Amino acid sequence: MGEKTIFLCEDSTDGIFTGVYDAWASRLGHGNVKLALKEDMNYELFARYLEVEPDGEKAGKVAASLRRKLGDEDYYHIYCATLSRSREKADYIYRTVAAGLSGGRQGAIMQNLQNPAVCRVFELSRTTGNEAHRYFQFLRFRELESGVLFSEIRPENHILPLIGEHFSDRFPCEHFLVYDRTHRMFLAHEAYKQWVLVVGEEPDWEKAGKVSEKEREIEQLWKGFCRSIAIEERKNLNLQRQFLPMKFREFMTEMR
Amino acid sequence: MKIQEAMSIYEKLDILSDAAKYDVACTSSGIDRKGDGKHMGNTVAKGICHSFSADGRCISLLKILFTNECVFDCKYCINRCSNDVPRASFTPEEVCTLTMEFYRRNYIEGLFLSSGILHNPVYTMELLYQTLYKLRNECQFQGYIHVKAIPGAPQELIDRTGLLADRMSINLELPTSESLKKLAPHKSRRTILTPMRQIQNRMEQNRQELMVYRQAPRFVPAGQSTQMIIGATPENDFEIVSVAESLYQKFQLKRVFYSAFVQVNEDSELPALPGGPPLLREHRLYQADWLMRFYGFQASELLSAKRPNFNVFLDPKCDWALSHLEQFPVEVTRAPYQTLLRVPGIGVKSAQRIVKARRYGALSFGDLKKMGVVLKRALYFITCGGRMMYPVKIEEDYIMRNLLSVKERLPFDLEHYHQLNLFDDCGVAR
Repeated sequence: MGEKTIFLCEDSTDGIFTGVYDAWASRLGHGNVKLALKEDMNYELFARYLEVEPDGEKAGKVAASLRRKLGDEDYYHIYCATLSRSREKADYIYRTVAAGLSGGRQGAIMQNLQNPAVCRVFELSRTTGNEAHRYFQFLRFRELESGVLFSEIRPENHILPLIGEHFSDRFPCEHFLVYDRTHRMFLAHEAYKQWVLVVGEEPDWEKAGKVSEKEREIEQLWKGFCRSIAIEERKNLNLQRQFLPMKFREFMTEMR
Repeated sequence: MKIQEAMSIYEKLDILSDAAKYDVACTSSGIDRKGDGKHMGNTVAKGICHSFSADGRCISLLKILFTNECVFDCKYCINRCSNDVPRASFTPEEVCTLTMEFYRRNYIEGLFLSSGILHNPVYTMELLYQTLYKLRNECQFQGYIHVKAIPGAPQELIDRTGLLADRMSINLELPTSESLKKLAPHKSRRTILTPMRQIQNRMEQNRQELMVYRQAPRFVPAGQSTQMIIGATPENDFEIVSVAESLYQKFQLKRVFYSAFVQVNEDSELPALPGGPPLLREHRLYQADWLMRFYGFQASELLSAKRPNFNVFLDPKCDWALSHLEQFPVEVTRAPYQTLLRVPGIGVKSAQRIVKARRYGALSFGDLKKMGVVLKRALYFITCGGRMMYPVKIEEDYIMRNLLSVKERLPFDLEHYHQLNLFDDCGVAR
């Protein structure tokens, strides 16, 4: 076995897919390459490091061929895994893609859960997808003076791209902003337009603090509703916590 | 008593959500409907729970009564006409405002609208229709709506309402007609089942219409459901699951909900429940309900006239497996899907994953665990590649002892519950 080559990718879908492209195109053999994320790396001995510059075109090619050869469902799992907070995701994704695209059988691979890399990608995708679903459930908007709906969240994985579609399909007529405090990013939606991700901008906290006149009243109504809908004889705070863990309650209207 | 006009919307919501809380169905599932790109709302087939109240039940819909005034006198109901409770009624505008404002803040998935009987069933149903009409056509609301059909309302009115709603339900209230006669003197089995059948027929007719013309208006696209109260009357579990089974088969219901009886009224006809609502029994019924809907079980396999109640200590699936040990162990690498489903510790998802994964190659116990199989339950019932996980005896007492030592995860405090009422929660002596 020769020297191992480690491809350092940026922590983004494009970054990882470019890494997959470069590692594949290097023709060093799957056993001799490894993918890792750039930040907080543990450097290995006897390895060669290559920095991968994210490249939209290469990433697009990878995405398209995954779609074509593995199918939409598998592609979606792999895409969700790229949004995970895991530090090892890049290499698992590479191994999964290698299993799906090389060898005798090309095609859907995500069901092959005996393969450790596939199983890990599946788990990462499930965790990320589940967290996105939690924010379908527990994200709360408040109406600002300008009429814009504003929301803050603190997710573990990078779920904004996964929730954009849902909320803009649901509220096409609204202007809304979702601020991800962990990743310091915005999901912005202008009425009747496509949603976009905004990176590197802080919200205007002064404006975000000023809610509309009606907002307080609606909040009171909602809090009252949540109180009166519970049946005292069945009170069960453990069960409530199981379904609605504490970490999601930080920005929830009825929990404040 | 307060005068209604003086009431604020806050007070009304307080009274009318409090009055609606005993209704169980708060699901927003059954239909995928994309937004139209212009107006507010869409629906998601698997449903979305937006919050959980202090009793651990999901809050998915704005669950309210239109009014809690009622001319009926059902013994178990807080809103019966003989009770002296504060009464209130919404106006259609108020319901629309609340729904729209809650919805756009992502508090709720839609509206659940039920009602007490104001004056008579026809009048009440007309009010519900008016509200839905306003919400759909004036507010252009595209989210989920679950509405109660009021027994005794004319078919034409129910038809019109069903074209605006996603789900309709009529409460069965109690499992048998004798109990209904005793506790709900104004209701009868006939007035409940007739509209249920009408809705079923209308849905069938709508399917035909949609085949001819894809854009035809859809009637109750998310199906109908019902609920019954458990533990207020002496029926045993076998009778209850049999009733549920026939509702699923004959009326094609989407869901049957079970509601542990909560004593809100003092009445000689009602049982005293010192241990609180029969939650364990309700839990077992839901487990059995799942087995019937997703696991291919029949009511007669789970219980019989000779053994009419569920095991308090074991869930219905383990219980069934223990009394059918001749069918085990099952070889997971070869057994058909339907057989896998019957193994304790293997659920719908893990069974599907196993069936798909084994096409790619051999499976190990480690793989099964990663796929979500609960091995501490399943290990007594499966072989993988011809081997059992540990050398265990396939023997009822032995497995029972071991299964009992694996603590079952119940949705409520087991310790507390068992000490108080281990046997008397079932309503009948064993």
